[in-house]
Amino acid sequence: MEAARNTLQEKSAHREQGNTPAIPGCFENGQPILVEPDSDFVRRIGRRSGDAFMKCMQCGTCSATCSLSSDVNPFPRKDLAWARWGMKDRLLRDSDIWLCYQCNDCSARCPRSARPGEVLAAIRQECIVNFSAPSFFGRWMQRPQFIPLLLGIPVALLALALLLVGPIEDALGITRSLDGQILFTYSSMFPHWMLNSFFAFFSLLTLIVVISGILRFWRAMKSTIPRERYVNPARGLGASILSTLKTVFIHDNFDQCTIARPRYVSHLCVFFGFLALAAVSLWVITAKINPMVRGDFIYPFGFLSPWKILANLGGIALLTGLVLMMWDRFRNDELVGPGSYFDWSLIATLSMVVVTGFMTEALHYLRLEPHRHLAYFVHLVFAFTVLIYLPYSKLAHLVYRTTALVFAEYTGRTSVGGVNGDNLLQRDTIDAEEQTKAVAK
Amino acid sequence: MEDKIGVFICTGYGIAEALDIEALCKVATDEYNVAYCKTVESCEGAGLKAINEDIKSEGLNKVVIAGISPRQYRENDFPQEIIVEKVAMREHVVWCQPPNDEDTQMMAADYIRMYIVKVQKAEPVEPFQSEETIDKSILVVGGGITGMTAALDTARAGYEVRLVEKSDKLGGWLAKQHMSIPTKPPFRELEDTGIDALLAEIEANPRIKTYTSSYTSKISGAPGLFDVTLSSNGNGTSSEMVDQFRVGSIIQATGWKPTDPRDNLPYGKLDNVILNVDLEAMIKEQGRITRPSDGKEAKNIAFIQCGGSRAKEHHSYCSSICCLNTLKQALYLRGQGDDAKAYIFYEFIRTPGQFEDFYRRVQEDPNIYFTRGEVAEITAGDDGTLQVTAKNTMPGEQIRVKVDLVVLAAGMKPNSADGEMIRALEEAKVTVKEGESDIQRGEAAKKVEELKHHEGTEILNLGYRQGPDLPALEYGFPDSHFICFPYESRRTGIYPAGCVRQPMDGLGSRQDAAGAALKAIQCVEMTSRGEAVHPRAGDKSYPDFFLQKCTQCKRCTEECPFGVLNEDEKGTPLLQATRCRRCGICMGACPERIVSFKDYTVDMVASMIKAVVVPEEYDEKPRILALMCENDAIPALELAGQHRLQYNPFVRIIPVRCLGSVNSVWVTEAISAGYDGVIMIGCKYGDDYQCHFIKGSELADYRGENIREKLQQMSMENERVELHQLQINEYYRIPEIFENFHKEVIEQFGMNPFKGM
Repeated sequence: MEAARNTLQEKSAHREQGNTPAIPGCFENGQPILVEPDSDFVRRIGRRSGDAFMKCMQCGTCSATCSLSSDVNPFPRKDLAWARWGMKDRLLRDSDIWLCYQCNDCSARCPRSARPGEVLAAIRQECIVNFSAPSFFGRWMQRPQFIPLLLGIPVALLALALLLVGPIEDALGITRSLDGQILFTYSSMFPHWMLNSFFAFFSLLTLIVVISGILRFWRAMKSTIPRERYVNPARGLGASILSTLKTVFIHDNFDQCTIARPRYVSHLCVFFGFLALAAVSLWVITAKINPMVRGDFIYPFGFLSPWKILANLGGIALLTGLVLMMWDRFRNDELVGPGSYFDWSLIATLSMVVVTGFMTEALHYLRLEPHRHLAYFVHLVFAFTVLIYLPYSKLAHLVYRTTALVFAEYTGRTSVGGVNGDNLLQRDTIDAEEQTKAVAK
Repeated sequence: MEDKIGVFICTGYGIAEALDIEALCKVATDEYNVAYCKTVESCEGAGLKAINEDIKSEGLNKVVIAGISPRQYRENDFPQEIIVEKVAMREHVVWCQPPNDEDTQMMAADYIRMYIVKVQKAEPVEPFQSEETIDKSILVVGGGITGMTAALDTARAGYEVRLVEKSDKLGGWLAKQHMSIPTKPPFRELEDTGIDALLAEIEANPRIKTYTSSYTSKISGAPGLFDVTLSSNGNGTSSEMVDQFRVGSIIQATGWKPTDPRDNLPYGKLDNVILNVDLEAMIKEQGRITRPSDGKEAKNIAFIQCGGSRAKEHHSYCSSICCLNTLKQALYLRGQGDDAKAYIFYEFIRTPGQFEDFYRRVQEDPNIYFTRGEVAEITAGDDGTLQVTAKNTMPGEQIRVKVDLVVLAAGMKPNSADGEMIRALEEAKVTVKEGESDIQRGEAAKKVEELKHHEGTEILNLGYRQGPDLPALEYGFPDSHFICFPYESRRTGIYPAGCVRQPMDGLGSRQDAAGAALKAIQCVEMTSRGEAVHPRAGDKSYPDFFLQKCTQCKRCTEECPFGVLNEDEKGTPLLQATRCRRCGICMGACPERIVSFKDYTVDMVASMIKAVVVPEEYDEKPRILALMCENDAIPALELAGQHRLQYNPFVRIIPVRCLGSVNSVWVTEAISAGYDGVIMIGCKYGDDYQCHFIKGSELADYRGENIREKLQQMSMENERVELHQLQINEYYRIPEIFENFHKEVIEQFGMNPFKGM
């Protein structure tokens, strides 16, 4: 029996010599790995992608349509196989899942309606939960029953801040110098010193979570590639970041979408609208310490102030983009996907931010008291919600996708399979040549 | 009764426009003195009616109709007692030759001559009537799902059935199943096997007589007259006769056994590596799946597909059922707890037909993991677990899983015996004892060694000269014309059904059982009327042996593909007419030409050959005889006509029942009559043969040796005789075959020097 087993091993060892190299992303490189499938992971991915991906029969139609796929890296086919086998560790470390913009060509062409695009989105969701600490926030973000709790936290924190305004002002002897001069400002309700320091504090917390997420994610991705590729990167880190930012700004990856073409427009609107609003907010928050801001005229902006115009345009762009997104999810759900709860919750929150923002603005110009304060409070709650849950919500994609894109640039994984593929193909060619020589001898 | 021959020539179908009809009539009346020659406008509808009226009023008993192909007529177009020959003047002449041409006219005249000679030589056919009454009861061998269903179906149709089962109770593999795969839409949930209902129905049916623990120790006779002896299985040493009775036909539903696992899988070496059938037995018995090593409940199982099949040298065929069975057993396991996991390693998942839905349903279970891959290694781990390593998998290059149990999907191999091989073994044994030379004995001993594994495998124990069981193919599946005639075997009246015939699931087995039941009923009914059963269904002629002239050469008894002829001690053929398929292979085999049918004899075809007028050598009009198989070559020729393909005008075609019925004397007759060459066109032969009579065209090729010898004696070139294999859809090759023969053979070797002698 011992002898028989040895022969068996010999046989298999012999066969392995002729093996093709391992699939990129499979860091084990030919060594068998013990698989202990995580069936909860399989269930979760199934639930979040329309319970269809188990129908996948590994035909490879998705890989044939995907521009990210190469001969040796059958994306997203391999990811579907890994997902079906509950190989969570491997999937979460795979930078490929973030190179996908869910153009949904694969879902539209899948003969089994397994919706690979949706599956990848679900995996990205898992990735966010996994890398953004603490992870229970991420898990809460996945389930509608946590809405009251998740909204309750910003409400409570803001209310607490409001309650603390008086006592702190008294204790520290702060007077609202600016506020006294101008009528009808919101600062009578929420003084700027409080607002700014409150938001600045939580922005800092968020930033810490984001940075730790980025570092953990980077390390995880790093473990999937051979050491030499990391030590001798395809390009420098700075160059990789610049190139990635360029890609993000011009949306050239969205531009490649065919079936889900409307995504390009809607995401572009949301992206620049969000950016404009963020810029205006930053300008306002930093106004006092910014040497570029002259004098005391900043608050409130007049209707024709360039900042106000930028903010209004940004708001309109954001709203337009969001409406387009919703429209697509209703009208073209067969093509772009109906959207998961995770996806819808971000759209809804951002919509609330922009709608309450406009309401506050309108009420402000109409001088309607005290409605405008109520609207302002609600607006602050939603804006604060977006901010503090950034690392856990779908908005975290701006962190992880950017990181993955930088990583891909850095290690030479470009959008067409790139270096990975080339290396392996070269190896194949050499093998073939050697074999030919051996035969000739 | 004196012959009164009438000739009818159709003027319709473009025949009158292309041929000189009067001249053709003259051939009949002047050369052959036929009593009656008439033109008719058509040989269908009103024309047909007119012909029938003339037959009656003129008192004709033999008729030649030159018009459309015989295949265009219906069975009862003419009274039974009248001999009617139909000349395909339209398909064979008018459509394929230029109109109003000298050669075309000569061809048409030759066909008139040939068929007048043919009717002259033909005698009225009388169906074979056995002296004993044809028994219409049916024997079903094997009491599994196929056998039970076949018995019930046959009994419901009103026939007496005897159902024989080797083991002590009916049910076969069905009784060993815990649950059945889904058999009806939406094909999602496992079902009860339904065995109890089936058994109760058989029990309650008064037409079915069941014998268990019995086997057919002897079956002699022929369809309609099979004498069956049943014996008890005993305890291996003693075996008593249980019953003796007569049946009309037999359904062999002896089922299957699991194939042995591949050599590289450690079955039998590791306790926790079992077969799919073992798992089924385990769950049937215990209601749960455990590890054989320590009886602990199995939580994780690796299923390895094609564990006993589809390897190059190890049952390379797909059994079509193992995948479904594995899906079913994976669901058994999933019933054992929410954390139970099934890993399925496959080469190809094959779930034929609607079972695709079942596959999808199993895929939906998140704890059933599928991957394509090849199992590289199975090793024993600690605490009784096993580690299965697979390569070329979909999740990655190589993966390893830890499991409690490995289940190998064993395929199906038929429970059959190869009658021909058993007979060859017996003959070799006799030669070892009585052989004439040392070399002969040595070779026979080698053969005995080679065939030894067939010893004691008999199932039916038929009293046939050609062996005690059905002849089998490579993997033991009974030989038949697989594509066209699924339930047929090479023994008339014996119909294999179910997994002995082809691997299939329970649903397929039931359908197969119904099919075989219909065949068995067809057999007893047609046999009782003295008609051929298959494939010349309804043919009433049968071979007649003029035994006074027999030289006991045994060629007919050896060559008949259907074991029709037994032998007496001297080697004289003993005809069992109801076994016969009327192909005429015995007629082609017989060197003494003692075999004949009433409507098909060696002399008749020889006379047709000689009836053709062969022009003198200097006329530059060669004559080529084409003997073409009625089953595929002649329909192909008619297709060529329908496509208006033009072919060589010097060819004269004679349809034959099978190329195997071609007697070498026809070739020598043709050459001495002045033909310049002979072409034989038959069905494809070899492993994937298409011959309706299994061996006919192959035998014709094999007998070519005799023909070549005879040609040599006549100092003629071998190339003047050619054999071609033609598939029915290859009609376009026919003109090419004729033309090439004319160009390459006749022009190379010149005209036949025997012309005009």
